[in-house]
Amino acid sequence: AAEDSLFCSSTSKFPFPPSNLHCSRLGLPPISAMELMIHSSSFLLPNIPAGEEDNHRHSPTYALVLLNQRLPQFTPLLWQHARVRVCADGGANRVYDEMPLLFPHEDAAIVRHRFKPDVIKGDMDSIRSEVLSFYSELVSRATSGTDVVDESDDQDTTDLHKCIAYINGAMPNVDKSSFCILVTGALGGRFDHEAGNLNVLHRFSTTRITLLSDECLIYLLPKTHRHEIHVNSSAEGPHCGLIPMGMPSGRTTTTGLQWDLNEAEMKFGGLVSTSNIVKAEKVTVESDADLLWTISIKKF
Amino acid sequence: AAEDSLFCSSTSKFPFPPSNLHCSRLGLPPISAMELMIHSSSFLLPNIPAGEEDNHRHSPTYALVLLNQRLPQFTPLLWQHARVRVCADGGANRVYDEMPLLFPHEDAAIVRHRFKPDVIKGDMDSIRSEVLSFYSELGTDVVDESDDQDTTDLHKCIAYINGAMPNVDKSSFCILVTGALGGRFDHEAGNLNVLHRFSTTRITLLSDECLIYLLPKTHRHEIHVNSSAEGPHCGLIPMGMPSGRTTTTGLQWDLSE
Repeated sequence: AAEDSLFCSSTSKFPFPPSNLHCSRLGLPPISAMELMIHSSSFLLPNIPAGEEDNHRHSPTYALVLLNQRLPQFTPLLWQHARVRVCADGGANRVYDEMPLLFPHEDAAIVRHRFKPDVIKGDMDSIRSEVLSFYSELVSRATSGTDVVDESDDQDTTDLHKCIAYINGAMPNVDKSSFCILVTGALGGRFDHEAGNLNVLHRFSTTRITLLSDECLIYLLPKTHRHEIHVNSSAEGPHCGLIPMGMPSGRTTTTGLQWDLNEAEMKFGGLVSTSNIVKAEKVTVESDADLLWTISIKKF
Repeated sequence: AAEDSLFCSSTSKFPFPPSNLHCSRLGLPPISAMELMIHSSSFLLPNIPAGEEDNHRHSPTYALVLLNQRLPQFTPLLWQHARVRVCADGGANRVYDEMPLLFPHEDAAIVRHRFKPDVIKGDMDSIRSEVLSFYSELGTDVVDESDDQDTTDLHKCIAYINGAMPNVDKSSFCILVTGALGGRFDHEAGNLNVLHRFSTTRITLLSDECLIYLLPKTHRHEIHVNSSAEGPHCGLIPMGMPSGRTTTTGLQWDLSE
């Protein structure tokens, strides 16, 4: 039928020894055939841990996409970690209006100069003209003005889709296993927008994309991999969930949750794991379906 | 496979003549075998149209469930239309705190007395003690279900309302829900799942920006749009399972199988 074929990026940078704990029970090939994908929300920490040579893990690199909803309180932290910052259309209004509000003791103009997007992209039907002028004219000694890419003629893809495609195209040589695109403003508001944004996670399944709000974060756990989620309990949790968004799951197994799943069936109309609680520093998930992982974010 | 068997309430009160426009193309049995379900958001209008005798349509009746997110601006309108109003746990905090804000020129205590929930239900881990006291002393029925951790607060409220109104005509009865969207995504997903789990009950989730309800595959659907109150932005979301074929009319970008 209309089943998406999902594929995820290689995890050859994360050489954890495979174990065969569950493979015989699940009737699957040895787990060495199902690669491990490791997840960590280190972008929520003030200082991102450096790459650990003994584990051959590279320091994570980030891009930031800002959509047109209220900025989360921790947006400046994300901005600081990101290598590139892209506003999707009205997301530029949010940066212009709300970054100064996050630094109430500083001059608004100074804050606006400090938080200058690298790119503004989309169909330009939401961005205010004075915001557009401000950023495209902004010139400092070190950087050029914001690059404005008008795609008002492309009505077939969402603004987020355009931004993800842009970033992927702009960074073709980046190590995808340690690169993640952080997105603010994708949740809440109009539900058709939110659903379209959740669909972007599925359509760009080879790209790590994390949707963020003040309350929670969401990312895709593709069924092609088994997953280890490293929980930074200073910044996230304990509330979490696993959502079979586009297709039912015949069996999902987890460890590290208060209500672990043991080859459990999950689907809309039946069981969906919500209001679960993280119990360990590491959560593992194996499933026959793509799942959305969501975890609450602690008050900043 | 694991396809939801979704079913919606009978539309025998809405005797529109079946047409066979698409049935042969779709390879489906005659449309008389697939019932029509009609949808209308008349609760968004100040005055709900009375039942129209010539079409045998009953006036719609509503219940209102308030969950723990900021109240939409039009909540007083929903409250006025509803026959019963149920707060899910911290939803009572919202009514207590925010109804007065929607009537800034009136005395807060007067507003709070006017908007008294009929029931407060759930596991009571969010409602503030002073809010709980205020409403229970006013006569609100408080139903504590803190021992039931297997179902969400919304699920408990829907089950409660269905149990409290066993004889209601389900084809013209709808449960309106505020506060189900936004906030923590696992809560939102759980609330969307309630729509699927109670597929024989009309449930509409509402926020300031949009509304959502289920279109079960067992019926063909007519959605009557009140353009004074809703639209034009809309969408159809296959949540939970893919759709092999969907056909629409009336949209800018219609789907054709």
